[in-house]
Amino acid sequence: MDTVLDAPVKTFLQVTEFWVPEGDRLVLATGNYGGLAAFEDATRAISFAKGEGLPGKAWAEQRPIVLKGFDGSYFKRTEAAAEAGLTSAVAIPVFDGDALRAVLVVLCGDDDARIGAIEVWSELDGLMMLDDGYYGAAKHFEWVSQHTHFPRGQGLPGGVWSASTPMLFRELGSGYRFIRADSAGKAGLTTGLGLPIPVPHDRQFVLTLLSARGTPIARRFEIWDARPEKVGHETAAILTDGICERDGPLWTDDNDTSPRRVTANQGNIGKVLASGLPVIVSGAPTLTEGYGSMVALPIYQHGAIAHIVSWYV
Amino acid sequence: MQKLVVIGAGMASGRLLEQLIEADATAYDITLFNAEPRGNYNRIMLSPVLSGEKSYTEIVTHDDDWYAANKVTTRFGEKVISVDTARKVVVGENGDVPYDKLVFGTGSSAFIIPLPGHDLPGVVAFRDLEDTSAMTEAAARPGAKAVVIGGGLLGLEAAAALRLRGMEVTVLHIASHLMERQLDPAAGYLLKKDLERRGINVILEAQTKEIIGNGRAEQVNLGDGTELPCDIVCMAVGIRPAVKLAQDSGIACGRAIKVDAQMRTQTPDVYAVGECVEYDGNLFGLVAPLYDQAKVLAKTLLGQDDSFVMRELSTKLKVTGCDLFSAGDFADGEGREDIVFRDPARGVYKRLVIENDRLIGAVMYGDTADGNWFFGLIKDGTDIADMRETLIFGPSYQGGAQADPLSAVAVLPPEAEICGCNGVCKGDIVKAIEGGAADLGAIRATTKASASCGTCTGLVEQVLSVTLGDDFVLPTAQPICGCCDLTHEDVRRLIKTKELKSQEAVWQELGWKTRNGCHSCRPAVNFYLLADWPLDYKDDPQSRFVNERNHANIQKDGTYSVMPRMWGGMTTPQELIAIAQAAEKYGATVKVTGGMRIDLLGIQKEDLPAIWHDLNQAGMVSGHAYTKGLRTVKTCVGKDWCRFGTQDSTGLGIKLEKKLWASWTPHKVKLGVSGCPRNCAEATCKDIGVICVDSGYQLSVAGAAGMDVKETERLVDLTTEDEVIEWTSAFVQLYRENAKYLDRAYKWVAKVGLDWVKETLADPATRKALVERFDISQSVYQHDPWAERAVPSEAVKFQPMADLTQEAAE
Amino acid sequence: MNWIDIGHIDDVPLRGARQVKTKVGCLAVFRTAEDEVFAVTNACPHKGGPLSEGIVHGTSVTCPLHNTIFELSTGKSHGVDAYTIDTYPVRIDGDRILLNGDAIAQRSAA
Repeated sequence: MDTVLDAPVKTFLQVTEFWVPEGDRLVLATGNYGGLAAFEDATRAISFAKGEGLPGKAWAEQRPIVLKGFDGSYFKRTEAAAEAGLTSAVAIPVFDGDALRAVLVVLCGDDDARIGAIEVWSELDGLMMLDDGYYGAAKHFEWVSQHTHFPRGQGLPGGVWSASTPMLFRELGSGYRFIRADSAGKAGLTTGLGLPIPVPHDRQFVLTLLSARGTPIARRFEIWDARPEKVGHETAAILTDGICERDGPLWTDDNDTSPRRVTANQGNIGKVLASGLPVIVSGAPTLTEGYGSMVALPIYQHGAIAHIVSWYV
Repeated sequence: MQKLVVIGAGMASGRLLEQLIEADATAYDITLFNAEPRGNYNRIMLSPVLSGEKSYTEIVTHDDDWYAANKVTTRFGEKVISVDTARKVVVGENGDVPYDKLVFGTGSSAFIIPLPGHDLPGVVAFRDLEDTSAMTEAAARPGAKAVVIGGGLLGLEAAAALRLRGMEVTVLHIASHLMERQLDPAAGYLLKKDLERRGINVILEAQTKEIIGNGRAEQVNLGDGTELPCDIVCMAVGIRPAVKLAQDSGIACGRAIKVDAQMRTQTPDVYAVGECVEYDGNLFGLVAPLYDQAKVLAKTLLGQDDSFVMRELSTKLKVTGCDLFSAGDFADGEGREDIVFRDPARGVYKRLVIENDRLIGAVMYGDTADGNWFFGLIKDGTDIADMRETLIFGPSYQGGAQADPLSAVAVLPPEAEICGCNGVCKGDIVKAIEGGAADLGAIRATTKASASCGTCTGLVEQVLSVTLGDDFVLPTAQPICGCCDLTHEDVRRLIKTKELKSQEAVWQELGWKTRNGCHSCRPAVNFYLLADWPLDYKDDPQSRFVNERNHANIQKDGTYSVMPRMWGGMTTPQELIAIAQAAEKYGATVKVTGGMRIDLLGIQKEDLPAIWHDLNQAGMVSGHAYTKGLRTVKTCVGKDWCRFGTQDSTGLGIKLEKKLWASWTPHKVKLGVSGCPRNCAEATCKDIGVICVDSGYQLSVAGAAGMDVKETERLVDLTTEDEVIEWTSAFVQLYRENAKYLDRAYKWVAKVGLDWVKETLADPATRKALVERFDISQSVYQHDPWAERAVPSEAVKFQPMADLTQEAAE
Repeated sequence: MNWIDIGHIDDVPLRGARQVKTKVGCLAVFRTAEDEVFAVTNACPHKGGPLSEGIVHGTSVTCPLHNTIFELSTGKSHGVDAYTIDTYPVRIDGDRILLNGDAIAQRSAA
């Protein structure tokens, strides 16, 4: 395998971590702090009660939450974040039915050079509306998104909503729904990953990660299908779609080649299948397809993992 | 070099070129014509490109570099004007190209219904990248509306894609359910619901009257008066083979270019492949048979034999989140039976069609996991009579979730020792993998794990699999039995590593699929536990075969044989008298065995404690003639009597037997001690053999004289009896601690290598530790099992628990 | 119902069996790991192997002679060459094992 890392790139997400419930608190399971040692130390020292801080709020409110500007907010690590240059965060709860399995938190810095978007969409009156999002320097695209809504089946949020499956869109600039394509193209956004975020109540949430070439959210995306409807009785997942800067397309035209398949405990995706929790791996390029780090996030449905999305940067 | 000209760069001709070049890159000088200004791309993936879920660059199968690298001359964007088969020349817009062999791969074009208005701008087919681009462009207009005519595979993929692009989409379909050629009405209904959930409007039994508009398509009118305003009309009702060029060139055509099973047309040196061919009256639209044709034609062109065979086809719809699979024939008919499964809550519908105990059709909606398995049954014509009742639940129907074979290794902490020989723990191996070691060889080179005796190879491979995922292909190992996916070696290693000290711990931690094992695995696990943890684990008689539980050999009539020990083959008149009396008293048949002992056959189970008691009284103990343990130590008379004898072989044999008796081992252990190299005690075909020589003792191991016959191999030469006893004990302990249950010593030594055994035992400290562990085990197990069972409280267990023969019948 | 006390539960080893002699021949009384008890014909129909000497796993026993596996609750063997052995009602009352005498009487009368 090609383990030579390309020249380091500035990434859109600077910190990724996940928290797991232990008793009535959320404790840190693992994180990738990208060298922000002081912030990591500050993080390791704390835990959250339900409703407390950003992860606790995502747990209590049972929904993904975008938080921009930590000063004066409920964010607990404001000082350390400020020192590390982190200004925004998104918390994504992982629910299995009513039970919280984990909260994934990503943190971003505010600077004019970083382009990308991480958005939370939710259903209102039969339409997907932007709940909130963090866009870095893509201000115009942010404005456009705030003024766009998606009926079922349309665009990335509407598509994910109606198909109940993660989706990966390419070449956003040339057609990620008509209203946003133009603006997305101008902002340099190339690849979009959309995923359903199931919560215990009826409200529908869709999370999108829109990646730009210069400051990518990820340079490799994968979508794995783990539903028994697709993989049978075995605890397993098949790679249904994916794109990689280095390996090119990761899907297979199944007239010819079977898709990649992993079983529980087989590699990082197998670890998600076995543990039911997200996985974050960094500092071991041979285990992360030659990239510096990877994140894999399970999405539950009918009491079991239905899909796993992973991104590598 | 012969000249090959191919007309049309589609999927079939692309596959043909690949196969041809791979088989023999020098066979042909190839020229490829294509009317489209580009090379080959994966046409069946156009719908995800239309939806934005794939990009065009991702579906290109051959780019300019590929053609250049394979020396294919490309004439793209150039139309072929004519073919002169007499002169063997292809006439292109930019000049002639002579050929030795010519292949038509002209494919098909969309079928356009000749409705009024069908030729207006804005009416497109869905066949190529140009159509796709036209639709993408139309979708870019705010509020754009599309009408898709045709509710087949292609039309529905287009509709879903256009919807994702943001359009308002209406599908018009002439039949009463969608995809009527691939789906039955029930699946068609579910599909319609699914599409409607995506905001796609579906009109069935639609009679399209006309397309109207001012200079471009603006509205579709239906026969019932419905008016559908639109910005674009996509006509996806079918394809027709593109054969005009072939017809004009005088190639025999029916509905398409006629070919035989070798893909030859009726014109010499002219071939055809793909959607433009007609074979045996059939046309082809799906990709699988096109690939088959390409393979056959490549062989034909290389002068090899192959024939195209029609096969069953399966269909999937490329709409993300829409799981649909259909294969075979599912029309109702005489003698056909259906098996239907529905789960309304999950939106699952499955239908199998059976005729004459063969599966002939399958339709699935919402759950397609077993699609390929059913498809295989259809293709192979498998007799499904035996599995009819559970057929619809698929191949993995077992009524429960499957255990995960990697879980035991996955949960091991980093400090868990994997390789006992070299003291390598899991964390070391994972670090090596992270450092780039990607296979067993690299792990051995960097960590030494599994580089010595090799019994931990399976575990190392599992660590590789757990860490690397599917990049490491796990070799299939023989599992211990149906109860567990791990091998014997893995189970042994994990019992040590995870310090599992009870059967329950083994069942739980190693993922046993049964409640408490079976007759195959439980005796093995019982042995492993008692061998590794003699002080913590107690031997479980209920996990032993009847012989070991009853300490006597069951015979085929249900009676038992009883054989007292005769140390080194020595006995006394008193012992012989006791044996004779017992034989008479219990009606035994008497036989002298090959192992220098006397066997009493035909003893009833109830009598066993009594005969043991009698033999005990005369000072005799169990000969363990029934165990996976020490059997006999065969000796010759040695230097006290024999004129050739060099040492006291009988005396040494007795000492060895007294040391080793009553020890449990993976399989039986037989020893021989010969007083000189003439080898009267046949020591060189035993598990352990000692040959006495003038200078001392030659210790050899791993012989066999059963189904396999094998001479022992020299382990070491020693000078004193004490050394022989020490080395022998150490060897037995090493065997006990490492071998697979039911592997005789010679099999085990063959697996781990005699060199490793020698090296391990040569270290005095290791040898001493082995002997100490052997002695600890013997302190627990070296007792006469007969004496323990001849006492009244135990003897009663050999009787029936109740005798109801005297009970009154009423 | 004629329930006959044949002994204490501990007279039968866990995952083991004992024989009971009756007019219809020798029966094997089994006790599984979960303290379920079963009574079946002792002789395997294949070659007469004493099932009471077999290894008990789950609610099955493996014949000691040729490894035929019988499900104790039904008396049916696994595998292609299916055998069936007679099963007899048996139950636990406190710590006593009771065998149904009527079933044996019926079988002997038949």
